[in-house]
Amino acid sequence: MRARLQQWVRLLAAALCLLNAAWADSITVEMEKAGGEYVFRLSPFPNGSRQPNETMRVYVDGGPAANADLPPLLGSYTVDGKVLSFKPRFPLQAGVRYRVVFDDGAGSGPQERTFDIPDTDGGAAAVVEEIYPTADVLPENQLKFYLHFSAPMSRSEAYLRVHLLDEDGKRITLPFLELDQELWDRAGRRLTIFFDPARVKRGLLPHEEAGVPIEDGKSYTLVVEKEWLDAGGKPLARGFEKRFRVGPADREPPRLTDWVVSAPKAGVRDPVIVEFPESLDHALLGRLVRITTAARRAPLRGEITIDRHEMRWRFTPDAPWPAGRYYVEVGTILEDLAGNTLERPFEVDVFERVQERVAGATETIGFEVK
Amino acid sequence: MTLSRSRILALAVTALALVAAPASANHHTSGMKAGKADLRSAGPLAFGPQGILFAGDSNGAAIFALDTGDTKPGSSGSVSVKGVNEKVAAMLGTSADQILIEDMAVNPISKNTYLSVSRGRGPDAMAVILKVDAAGKISEFSLDNIKHSKATLPNAPAPDAKDGRGGSLRVQSITDLAYVDGKVLVAGLSNEEFASTLRSIPFPFSAVDGGTGVEIFHGAHGRFETNAPVRTFVPYEIQNEPHLLAAYTCTPLVKFPLSDLKPGSKVMGTTIAELGNRNRPLDMIVYAKGGTDYILMNNSSRGVMKMSTKDIHKYEGIKEKTDITGLPYETIAELKGVQQLDRLDDNNALILVQDESGAMELKTIALP
Repeated sequence: MRARLQQWVRLLAAALCLLNAAWADSITVEMEKAGGEYVFRLSPFPNGSRQPNETMRVYVDGGPAANADLPPLLGSYTVDGKVLSFKPRFPLQAGVRYRVVFDDGAGSGPQERTFDIPDTDGGAAAVVEEIYPTADVLPENQLKFYLHFSAPMSRSEAYLRVHLLDEDGKRITLPFLELDQELWDRAGRRLTIFFDPARVKRGLLPHEEAGVPIEDGKSYTLVVEKEWLDAGGKPLARGFEKRFRVGPADREPPRLTDWVVSAPKAGVRDPVIVEFPESLDHALLGRLVRITTAARRAPLRGEITIDRHEMRWRFTPDAPWPAGRYYVEVGTILEDLAGNTLERPFEVDVFERVQERVAGATETIGFEVK
Repeated sequence: MTLSRSRILALAVTALALVAAPASANHHTSGMKAGKADLRSAGPLAFGPQGILFAGDSNGAAIFALDTGDTKPGSSGSVSVKGVNEKVAAMLGTSADQILIEDMAVNPISKNTYLSVSRGRGPDAMAVILKVDAAGKISEFSLDNIKHSKATLPNAPAPDAKDGRGGSLRVQSITDLAYVDGKVLVAGLSNEEFASTLRSIPFPFSAVDGGTGVEIFHGAHGRFETNAPVRTFVPYEIQNEPHLLAAYTCTPLVKFPLSDLKPGSKVMGTTIAELGNRNRPLDMIVYAKGGTDYILMNNSSRGVMKMSTKDIHKYEGIKEKTDITGLPYETIAELKGVQQLDRLDDNNALILVQDESGAMELKTIALP
């Protein structure tokens, strides 16, 4: 009986010793936020000649098949007392699993621990706010669309998510110019899509081979798929459709002599109203039309409104109008929907050459405020 | 013993030479300062002389000249990096669908490959440049403390530009970039007006010179003339005169002499080929084989095209509808999915090719 008890005591002592040894030498790895970014910490970091990157390495977890080939994260190591820290070069990504491989070098071999970065709820899903031009009838040689989103979007899937359907709901093949550099604004909220100019322009091979993308007399639908991911990786709340009919090609340059300017009264902040007989390019109207004074220095500060299917431009000044002479100053590269500018038509037919106006940078229309 | 006059002169000249020599060895880096190169977006890459890497930054509206210091001559072996996009993503701590490899350029001296990468796909994506050596090892080419200079393009964003008031939404996407004869040529496409911009910026960069813009036009069957954004171009000498071979966002492939790029001028390219529907070159390189020069172009959907430059100097343009459509070319259909193409050496090119699963491989191919 006593022998057995002694045996048990010995076993218990041995077990306790082992446990003690294990506790004393075992290293742990944690992930924590420091200064807004995630950092990995290993402790205790054994003193001695072991290199930090032999002790701990962080990987993206690509699954068992891929993991063998994936290199570790770029980053930097620091040692503070008994703590080894690894700071990733770039912020960790929500929805990605990270795998830390660590080895205390005591012979028990490498261990692994995985960490997931919690998905932050980025707020409401994005939507398409508007597509310009807003008109229901577009010319056969329509040049582009602007897609406006309510939140920043992700790049590289635009041409997978935008489709043009004919009257029967069938997709038109390759109507748009597909560029690797998608044409976004800096905020990632506006995308410019060009109709393939090689099909629109006369005399080029694709125009002969494939024809114009949209035809006079027919109807089409521009479809935006809701699967399009925003910059946070979430799909749109819903898709968007724009139905339109197509009229004849427009080969006439816009003329300022066709514009009508309605002047406001002095002393108030009513807008000056400029109306034109055809829809013009929405983005260029916002950028290339300004109100200046007789002194022609900096344009007046105020707010621009474009409405009535981009056939009306209004300017409300920040301060009430002093009486005097003003100018609507228009950049001559302002385009209509078919890309004709004040300077020249989109395509110059050299056989029937239209007189090209001298291209100054701007043209003006004067008006009086009294 | 007094020194003879000629001895003194000889000594003086030697002394001057010793003082002057180190400075002239790297005159290309004159004006460059060490510091953080603040690229706001990763775009096209092109090498200049002496390991200087030019990088286009569309969002920042700038061209950076980066002194890589990578000037030790290297020999190009056979490069093969499978799953390069997954490896790059892993190093940047993210998944492969969250990076975009924007461009690739081989350093003609060291034969190391440089990649410009967007880490992230939204407007806040970070610009990263990575280096891949001949053994396939990938490392970061850090921009934190690098000797560099910068040329600002005319529509650089104002520091306080706000949305909704116009101007700040416009971006010139830089589509191609090359160094020729002391100038950096930049092709850009606006996200608003349908305009061509080919800009010529003298290098070394000076603080105020954003270069001169030139309007590029092309004809169509001798009848229609339109403004035409240049998408990609390659310098090429025709009968000892520097030219550019340019592919438009439309399909004509044109040539024009570099001397035509005068400030404010309007340049009509001479059409040397009409490439037809869905044939839009992404990259173009020129190489020699069997005594003839060839242009090699990749088009991700249609494979790689090889075009002979034989008789290119005779081309006055495709004038009539009935004309044969320009220089003959063949499609090398087995090279599909080639996203990037650059010269490696006289006999080989480096390609970045993507398969149906989306996996990308960096590998060497013999010039066809």
